[in-house]
Amino acid sequence: MGISTLQSYQSAQIFEAVGINRKVIDKYFTNTVSPVEGIGLEEISEGVEWRHSHAFDPLELGLDESADSVGSHKLRSGVNAEDHMYNPRTIIALRDATQSGSYEKFKEYSAMVDDERKPHTLRGLLDFVYDENGGIPLEEVEPASEIVKRFKTGAMSYGSISEEAHTTLAIAMNRLGGKSNSGEGGEDTSRFGTEKNSAIKQVASGRFGVTSAYLCSAQDIQIKMAQGAKPGEGGHLPGKKVYPWIAKTRCSTPGVALISPPPHHDIYSIEDLAQLIYDLKNANTDARISVKLVSEAGVGTIAAGVAKAGAEVVLISGFDGGTGAAPKSSIQNAGLPWELGLAEAHQTLIKNGLRSRVRLETDGKLMSGRDLAIACILGAEEFGFATAPLVTMGCVMMRVCNLDTCPVGIATQNPELRCRFKGKPEYVMNFMLFIAEELREIMAKLGIRTIDELVGRTDLIRVRDKRITDRAESLDLSALLGELQPEHFREEDKYDFELDKTIDESVLVPSFAPFFKKKKPHSVNINVSSINRTLGTILGSEITKKLGSDVKEDTYTVNAFGGGGQSFGAFIPKGLTLKLTGDANDYFGKGLSGGKLTVTPEKNAGFVAKDNIIIGNVALYGATSGKAFINGIAGERFCVRNSGAVAVAEGCGDHGCEYMTGGRVAILGRTGKNFAAGMSGGIAYVLDEDHDLYLRLNKQMVSMTSVSQSHDITELKKMIEEHVRETDSAFGRKVLDNWEEYLPKFKKIIPHDYQAMTVAIAQFEETGMSHEQAQMEAFCALQK
Amino acid sequence: MGKATGFLEYERKAVTSRAPLERIRDYSEFHPPLNMDERKRQAARCMNCGVPFCQSGENFGGGYSGCPLHNLIPEWNDEIYNGNWKVALKRLLKTNNFPEFTGRVCPALCEAACTCGMDGESVTVHDNELTIIEKGFENGWITPRIPKVRSGKKVAVIGSGPSGLAVADQLNQRGHTVTVFEKNNRPGGLLMYGIPNMKLEKSVIDRRVKLMEEEGIEFRTSVNVGIDISAAELEKEYDAVVLCVGSGKARDITVPGREGEGVYYAVDYLTASTKFVTGQTESPAITAKEKDVVVIGGGDTGNDCVGTAIRQGCRSVIQLEMMPKPPVKRTADNPWPQWPRVLKTDYGQQESIAVFGNDPRRYETTVKEIIRDENGNMTGINTVRLSRSVDKDTGRVQMTEIQGSEEFVPCQLLLIAAGFVGCEDYISESFGVETGARGTILSEDAHYATGVSKLFTAGDAHRGQSLVVWAIAEGRACAKEVDEFLMGYTNMI
Repeated sequence: MGISTLQSYQSAQIFEAVGINRKVIDKYFTNTVSPVEGIGLEEISEGVEWRHSHAFDPLELGLDESADSVGSHKLRSGVNAEDHMYNPRTIIALRDATQSGSYEKFKEYSAMVDDERKPHTLRGLLDFVYDENGGIPLEEVEPASEIVKRFKTGAMSYGSISEEAHTTLAIAMNRLGGKSNSGEGGEDTSRFGTEKNSAIKQVASGRFGVTSAYLCSAQDIQIKMAQGAKPGEGGHLPGKKVYPWIAKTRCSTPGVALISPPPHHDIYSIEDLAQLIYDLKNANTDARISVKLVSEAGVGTIAAGVAKAGAEVVLISGFDGGTGAAPKSSIQNAGLPWELGLAEAHQTLIKNGLRSRVRLETDGKLMSGRDLAIACILGAEEFGFATAPLVTMGCVMMRVCNLDTCPVGIATQNPELRCRFKGKPEYVMNFMLFIAEELREIMAKLGIRTIDELVGRTDLIRVRDKRITDRAESLDLSALLGELQPEHFREEDKYDFELDKTIDESVLVPSFAPFFKKKKPHSVNINVSSINRTLGTILGSEITKKLGSDVKEDTYTVNAFGGGGQSFGAFIPKGLTLKLTGDANDYFGKGLSGGKLTVTPEKNAGFVAKDNIIIGNVALYGATSGKAFINGIAGERFCVRNSGAVAVAEGCGDHGCEYMTGGRVAILGRTGKNFAAGMSGGIAYVLDEDHDLYLRLNKQMVSMTSVSQSHDITELKKMIEEHVRETDSAFGRKVLDNWEEYLPKFKKIIPHDYQAMTVAIAQFEETGMSHEQAQMEAFCALQK
Repeated sequence: MGKATGFLEYERKAVTSRAPLERIRDYSEFHPPLNMDERKRQAARCMNCGVPFCQSGENFGGGYSGCPLHNLIPEWNDEIYNGNWKVALKRLLKTNNFPEFTGRVCPALCEAACTCGMDGESVTVHDNELTIIEKGFENGWITPRIPKVRSGKKVAVIGSGPSGLAVADQLNQRGHTVTVFEKNNRPGGLLMYGIPNMKLEKSVIDRRVKLMEEEGIEFRTSVNVGIDISAAELEKEYDAVVLCVGSGKARDITVPGREGEGVYYAVDYLTASTKFVTGQTESPAITAKEKDVVVIGGGDTGNDCVGTAIRQGCRSVIQLEMMPKPPVKRTADNPWPQWPRVLKTDYGQQESIAVFGNDPRRYETTVKEIIRDENGNMTGINTVRLSRSVDKDTGRVQMTEIQGSEEFVPCQLLLIAAGFVGCEDYISESFGVETGARGTILSEDAHYATGVSKLFTAGDAHRGQSLVVWAIAEGRACAKEVDEFLMGYTNMI
């Protein structure tokens, strides 16, 4: 839940109950949310008694006392074993149907999934209210080719799955007009603008590979607030899966595990989320901004906030599926069914008059047309699938995704196994078209012509009369069904970001546009204040879209005067330089993507730059490349998740360089506490005049030495020289003028894994190998 | 599993066989075990699948694959790799009463569905299982388990084949008092007399039966229920009766010349051979020595006949199989994890190749007529070729004779290994139970109680001719129902 200590869970009331009745909750779990009622003490005691008699026979007759293999995680067949929705029969049936292209076989598969006798899900307790007059002819229903445009594949990162699997999904969805999701692992630039491009680009807390080009290649930019299957936890890619090519896409160190922090470090409130939505919209004005939330009590309120903030798509993710490589504690009993969250979000948005602003999407073990129909009726107009498309490509649910030994070449990076991959885009396309076809058949029987007509039509479902067990009868699903509220997204109600009123669109882009064609240098002067947020980002995106990612440094310069607002210079690409005279708020240089930023106080400011804070918190969050020179002290979490930018500041607050995976940082003054926490790549140089940096350094992953190697000394000096050139820093000049005196006071902070990898690569290169070969050898050697 | 990369690092290695020409000189089992290091490597190939098809026992595309007993295969493979043989044994015995039988004669439905076999070679599950149980016996870990409490209920099990033995074992451990009736002179059913010694040494059966006797089960052999003792008597004396009488009615061939000497059912031939091998007779009552032998039926039993005939010193042996020769590898319409309908060259056929230079099987061929001389002695048979066609209207596959393809084959011993068609009439009549179209004793769908009170059925009698592993699965499931019938509740799994 984003909470780090066990103590924080106690009395936190962050658990919800599904299937326990009010009486028991009120007495024993007071104030815990229990949305659908359920069993009481009688049933609970039945369960206890059953378990007891199974261990101690009432008549002391012979008993098998060995532990049963119930198969709650890895499936087991047999008496008393847990029933899984993906079991040997359904897996083979789905694979068979989609690989042979047989709709008939698909219906056999979905009959198994929808089997009334085994409701594993809340939706299994619901039934349709078919039209009394027999419905409408199938031909009158929206065609499958239109419906599939509302389909997405789930966010499975490149890194968690192989390139072959990842691109197959992208190709399939692009051919259908649907969308595939990049996941949080970044994407190889060669895929942008081709059939292999992931239409949805995810921005997760790790900000892996989130460059300007990445954002500009997207149709949807999705902010991953959490993962349905393990809410409150970040993504997790085990070190043995971070092969050199994965590390390259993510700008990190091969062989080092990548954990995305649970919160986004630039989102600590709903206003922060609104800021990020705004930033991403600026980074690609053509993209729809989507926010991925998880099903939980209160998601309705968050959805309303997100809608107000301008998101165009809200995804409510359920607890099933997901998470091939999650820790065991995250797989079970974490997250909630999408039915609950979706219904709540739909109803809350309507209550607040916001429903028509957004498209509601849902995912989490959607397996048949029936699932889609119910999702639509509960409020969704777009749908995501992740496990199912993988099964069509050959996944047999081995559950070894975290071990990099996937025998069908899907959840692995090992080239020996990737060559076994037998998936084809046609298989995925067949699945999408078949499931859309099934949905059409249900719509026809309901008398509904289009998806839009079906959204929110809770009058078309009812609770099944005879539920499979007495316990199922104890559930109260009226919260799901709610009042009849058929509302859906309407284009005309879309949120207006009023981007035309920004300095970027009104002044900067028109000024620089004429100089794009020939890449002629140009500069502009402007005044800024804190109401000008995300300055330079739209201009930056224009440069990326029209000129690419390799424009010469300093081609286009903006001289800004005044107080820079939030996200100053976010995602700006190489070629664009913003020079700020004044100060700046939070998120300075967020996602810096090759551009250059400088900030310095006014000439006659009247205070010493070195001793004063000049920029806010979370500067350079997720920067991937570029340069930043800060003539003053930076706030907290300076350079958090930096994966390639070069930055110089004259002091920083707490948690500096947290989770850094690349780049170079020089701090010419005191840091705050917990410096370099989780740092697994890149190098930081800190001026430790009082020799007490060790008190504030988080030593878990890094080591601290003096700066004594000649290439390090040269690198540091160059950084400071450029800092002085760009900002005219008085202290910087002082350090250079007294270099012999100051150099010994610098400390070099380098992560252990990064150092080991760098040394190993250098050693292999010395034997004559190319850099790529050396990287691979080093990766393999260090895995042992 | 133990080793996540085992399947990448190690290749499958099956047990070796003693050379054909050497092993035909006796009737002993002929697979020397692998050494323990190799066995561990073989166990390491198990991938510990998140969905273990190996133990699913499911019907994929028309046939079953995956273990019908739902053996905890990934678990004991892991234990083997880690050298925890005792734990491996415990996990194995949790689901399988007689791994020493299945580990020898099961065709390995598990391996057919093994995920390793999806794109490579399956794990040697069958051999791993045998290794565990034999190590258990070797180390003296398998000792009589005497039930602490007796329920006072008495159960009669008719038939001591694998299903009857499983029912008996399960109910005895539960605490009921079990008596097993067997019409033959030794327990085991087809395990004893239907399967030759070289496939399943009879000492293995004796070892198990002895254990069961020490655990309190009474075996009454040479008692043919329905003839020597009446159904009524049993129903009076016992609280429940379980018919595990097998599918004893052999399928016959009705061709001219069928009546007369020289023609035997395979089961009778093999029984005679085993009685000789176990020292009960001086020489086999039916022998292939110096004869031209024809075996009708290309399946496992046919193969057993071939192996036995060769050991008895036949002059020649051929095997007639109606169906076409199966493909060597899986075809596209028979993908993993379905049971592979592929060519299997079993031990008898290998021996024929070694001795006579060729595989004994003639495909798409059957017997048309048995030729006898003026004294009624069989001199040979006329075979006829068949061709496969699909009936236009019903879609059914049929094999029709090809005109003019008759061929005379010398033969003095004709063995019919054409399968079984149902429970013998005298049994069903004696107990007053109904039999169905397939000759099986009828019961409620997926249950084991017959319509007659106190009477249950399991194994081939219930299911039709099938495998040992299915018999054990049936026996266990039936025992659970019998327990519930007797006690009003059950805690058996």
